Amino acid sequence: MSREILIDPMTRLEGHGRIHIFLGTDGGVDRAYLQIPELRGFEKFAQGRRAEDMPQITSRICGVCPMAHHMAATKALDDLYQVDPPPAARKIRELLYSAFMVEDHALHFFFLGGPDFIVGPDAPRQKRNILGVIDAVGLEVGKEVIGVRKQLRDLVAEVAGKAIHPVFGLPGGVSRSVSSEVRPEAAAAAARAIQFSQFALGAFREAVLGNPGYVELITSEAYTHRTYYMGLVDEANKVTFYDGRLRIVGPESKELLTFDGRDYLSHVAEHVEPWTYMKFCFLKDIGWNGFADGAGSGVYSVAPLARLNAADGMATPRAQEAYEEFMTTLGPKPVHYTLANHWARIIELVYAAERMAELAADPEITDPRVRTLPTVAPREGIGVVEAPRGTLFHHYQTDERGLVTAANMIVATQNNAARIALSVDKAARALIRNGQVDDALLNRVEMAFRAYDPCMGCSTHSLPGHMPLIVDVRDAGGTLLREIRRD
Amino acid sequence: MRTLVLGLGNEYAGDDAVGVLAVRALRGKLAGGADVVESAASGLALLEVFAGYDRAVIADSIRTGRSPAGTIVEVRLADLGLATAPSLHQAGIPELAAVARRLGMGFPDRTRVLAVEVAGPLMFGAPLSKPVAAAVAPLGRRVLEQVQRWASEDSSRGRPAGAGRGPKDTLTRGPGGARCTTTTRSARSSRA
Repeated sequence: MSREILIDPMTRLEGHGRIHIFLGTDGGVDRAYLQIPELRGFEKFAQGRRAEDMPQITSRICGVCPMAHHMAATKALDDLYQVDPPPAARKIRELLYSAFMVEDHALHFFFLGGPDFIVGPDAPRQKRNILGVIDAVGLEVGKEVIGVRKQLRDLVAEVAGKAIHPVFGLPGGVSRSVSSEVRPEAAAAAARAIQFSQFALGAFREAVLGNPGYVELITSEAYTHRTYYMGLVDEANKVTFYDGRLRIVGPESKELLTFDGRDYLSHVAEHVEPWTYMKFCFLKDIGWNGFADGAGSGVYSVAPLARLNAADGMATPRAQEAYEEFMTTLGPKPVHYTLANHWARIIELVYAAERMAELAADPEITDPRVRTLPTVAPREGIGVVEAPRGTLFHHYQTDERGLVTAANMIVATQNNAARIALSVDKAARALIRNGQVDDALLNRVEMAFRAYDPCMGCSTHSLPGHMPLIVDVRDAGGTLLREIRRD
Repeated sequence: MRTLVLGLGNEYAGDDAVGVLAVRALRGKLAGGADVVESAASGLALLEVFAGYDRAVIADSIRTGRSPAGTIVEVRLADLGLATAPSLHQAGIPELAAVARRLGMGFPDRTRVLAVEVAGPLMFGAPLSKPVAAAVAPLGRRVLEQVQRWASEDSSRGRPAGAGRGPKDTLTRGPGGARCTTTTRSARSSRA
């Protein structure tokens, strides 16, 4: 008799964001995975629409990462119309994108990673939330997170038109230039962001590295998967968010390949299982060999840890220093600990802030030439960026008038789906024996969740807007045997 | 006294659009001087939107499964509870209110949440379901009534009703030359 255990973090929407655990006849785990919602209907919705509307439309896909979709779509339009943006336009885009990364990473580290590392994994449950983090770090730090964020959002709104849903990306450039008055504002915001990122790094060092228990938790086998890693890199193989080539590094640290994002379909494929509509991305060059890690399995990972593993370092000095400390402490490269994503996120926060400062200091960014006008008939365009949670692909085909005939999108969480399944599976196998579910299952799954921050059903916003975690234990007949719930 | 009218939802995702569409129809009709804001952002991404307001009406969608689709329900913020929010994607208005209050950012003391029970599934590009489409105008009226009630409370106390900000909307050229309404840096607009 097989049974199914369901962890449902999103009771509002059917079929979205559920964790399924199938038990075999022996009461052990047969298989487990997180069912991530697809952007259902998007491809059809896009058909017949003007390609140049995609940066606005897709920025509404995710209530958390509108800038990432806006930018991937804008880059796909560059490719579609075969136009290279002028240098100033590229720099303006990267400046705003870096500001967005700082803002998102800071919020995530303090308020979402904080419950595990600042409040602590052993703290009482009612303390392990956003308010517990504010209590632990103090009001002043909490206010600084918000203060930095506000300054960055004001800058984005000034340059991109809107802070939440930007309206500045155009094929071949951006809609307006950066004035010489705005440049010092950008520099000031970057300086504050650098200072804050250094503080965050210090806070992590103090709370986590000074505590052998935390380090043991991060490096425990429960959160370890030896997979491939993907991320955008620059010419020197350093981490980059806005533009570069995609590099894949194997579990033994060897580079598998580096490729242009336009060739993604030659290297990334989707595996389909008969028991779910969900698709699992894998590396074509290796092939799908089941839910397994190791060099023989095409399972790969994206997001901060993956980016650090896929690159040879960081392009800015403070971030490089932090990178070296990270690799010395947790290495050798690649680091396979999922929970190391939190540390990797702060290193990226440092980089994003430093990169902002570099761009703000560049006088060329105020050059009024911010647009290259398209002259060729469009056919096909692909855009790739590193979203906070990993590589994001946008791909459009159009007719000669620029009306979309086909659209494809791979979001970060889809890239990570197979590895997330490995995490859920490992937690389930460790904590379910003879059909008995240990309550710690929820904790372990939740900690993996926080590290990946998977995007689930974020294209909708119905109240309450948050998702409790629920584990349902059912027998083969569908009868509820037990429910573990965390609101 | 400053009033915020906030419509939440993704206008491209079927019934999820109801809150946005309801407040959009109120633009220019709120003689009492309330700021109307539409957003597809979620949870903590909305942190700054509430700052500086004394009261707010939120128009949104909800799925309780306890009422037929199209039913307008008033939800008390306290009843939504505080989740442990294992992900940024999973933080909602209750977490936002808790953080804003704890950090002294000023979350309106008087916040009313009016939500329409949705039908599923909330697919990209899906039209509004019939019962939810029929609830757009009534939801707008409920929001309007609430704003008017507050405004009349103000005037009976001798306070000026319209203390919102001055008009700040600007029209800009969007991508492809499309005209699109853009709000100012505070992501807030006023049609008082």
